[in-house]
Amino acid sequence: MASLEHSPASPPAASDSGRLLDRLRSRSDQVIVLVLLFAIWQALSLWLGEYWVGSPWLVVTRFYAGLVDGSVLYHAYYTFAEAVIGFVLGAIPAVLLPFALRRLPIVTAVLDPFMVGGYGAPKLALAPLFILWFGIGIESKIALVAITVFFIVYFSALAGVRALDTRLVQMAQVAGANERDVARHIIFPGAVPYVFTGLRIAMPYSIGGAVVAEIISANRGLGYLVQLSAMNFDTTGVFVALIAVTLIVFICNGAVDFAERRLLRWRPASDAKLQASV
Amino acid sequence: MSAQPLLEVRDLSKRFASRESRDASLWVIKDLSFSVRDGEFLTIIGPSGSGKTTLLNMIAQIDAASGGEVRFKSESAPINDPKSLNPGLSCRIGYVTQEDNLLPWRTTLQNVLFPLTVQGRLNDETRARAAELIRHVGLAGFENHYPHELSGGMRKRASLIRTLVYDPPVILMDEPFGALDAQTRAVLQEDLLRLWEMGRKTIVFVTHDIGEAIALGDRTLVLSRAPAKVAGEHQITIPRPRDIRGIMSHPDFGPLYQRIRAQVQ
Repeated sequence: MASLEHSPASPPAASDSGRLLDRLRSRSDQVIVLVLLFAIWQALSLWLGEYWVGSPWLVVTRFYAGLVDGSVLYHAYYTFAEAVIGFVLGAIPAVLLPFALRRLPIVTAVLDPFMVGGYGAPKLALAPLFILWFGIGIESKIALVAITVFFIVYFSALAGVRALDTRLVQMAQVAGANERDVARHIIFPGAVPYVFTGLRIAMPYSIGGAVVAEIISANRGLGYLVQLSAMNFDTTGVFVALIAVTLIVFICNGAVDFAERRLLRWRPASDAKLQASV
Repeated sequence: MSAQPLLEVRDLSKRFASRESRDASLWVIKDLSFSVRDGEFLTIIGPSGSGKTTLLNMIAQIDAASGGEVRFKSESAPINDPKSLNPGLSCRIGYVTQEDNLLPWRTTLQNVLFPLTVQGRLNDETRARAAELIRHVGLAGFENHYPHELSGGMRKRASLIRTLVYDPPVILMDEPFGALDAQTRAVLQEDLLRLWEMGRKTIVFVTHDIGEAIALGDRTLVLSRAPAKVAGEHQITIPRPRDIRGIMSHPDFGPLYQRIRAQVQ
């Protein structure tokens, strides 16, 4: 009974203070890079003239004014809504389809060339077609975003379903798991990291897709703002719209990060970092 | 040996199609027969590549046989058709595999409770049993750790008690302590013997370590090189409870070791 006194190797617990220092360090480095970028921007603006490159200061004040009078928020709202609705409408079937087709390898194989074609085809070229079909309103942008997101997420979810470890399935079956238990407890959680890789890649595409579709034809949204400003030779206005787009990307990226951290707590830290950097 | 065997393997054969030609297929196991009594601790020893894992996979019914049968409590299990396999034969045959196969997205406790969860047997009583097993193998305090946060020995313990927790009458073990250092292995062997003395399950334990086979088993089977057959059978007469660390100095150990080693090629 003395053997109850095991001395298991303590699990790897990185020191929290060290991690905090690392984070502070990278934050301060990021500020330096930001300042550097602004300096280059300012230099370009001085060199080429404010007519071609609006100065950072002008852009910031215009952006602030746009926030106060609500015009930036008005356009940002449409772009954000198009991106988010399209993202959800595209991602949900893209995640569900590989699971549904898991037991039907022949159907998957038949679909494969079409999916590869859909994945490879330049979706932006579809924008004029969608505008013909769905009009210049929010619907055509949602359709374009959804189809872009669908193909990216479909292939990563498919990879996740295929990366299944059969030894885990056998273990579960021996322990009494039925088909549904295996899907729920093994296949689905195992595919989640792959799905997130796809979502992470698809997210900026969804915003980019919405903006480009607006540039082609719209009467509101940040892409419309870019187009309108450019038509009026207002480079400052273009930069204001681009900053708003970038901020939306940041917000959505933060949302994906948050969801990923919540759902993938079980992953080793180094693994998650590697995944994020891919 | 008067009692009816709990588990019986009869003329079991397994063939893998060879890559070079279709006709000359490779027999890994050919006409292998043995039986296990209720409550017996059987150890099986054989050279690597002698089909030990394949044998356990067929008994656990995650792999189909090419011939022969496995009888559990005198009922014959259909194991020649991959489609009609019943893995774990309705939760009565537990299997501790070589790798721990813990689910990385479940904590230690959730992993240990996994069989009870899918069997729909999760209640206060079974939860208490799981907690007791966790305490017994020194995993208390690590219930909410994920597998990657555990050491190799701890993962092994978790996978061992994951099978013990639902109390299958037969437990198959495939070199469960193979990848561990000598010290951790000795501790885990002691743990296993102690848990076995408490519950007296029927255990079929495969290993390539002769010392381990003698230290743990009531009886040891020696398998030949592929195609595997029973090359020898040895009753381990060393009385229980055994002292794992001191077992080599027992007078019966040396002669047994010599005789088994002569048969393991």
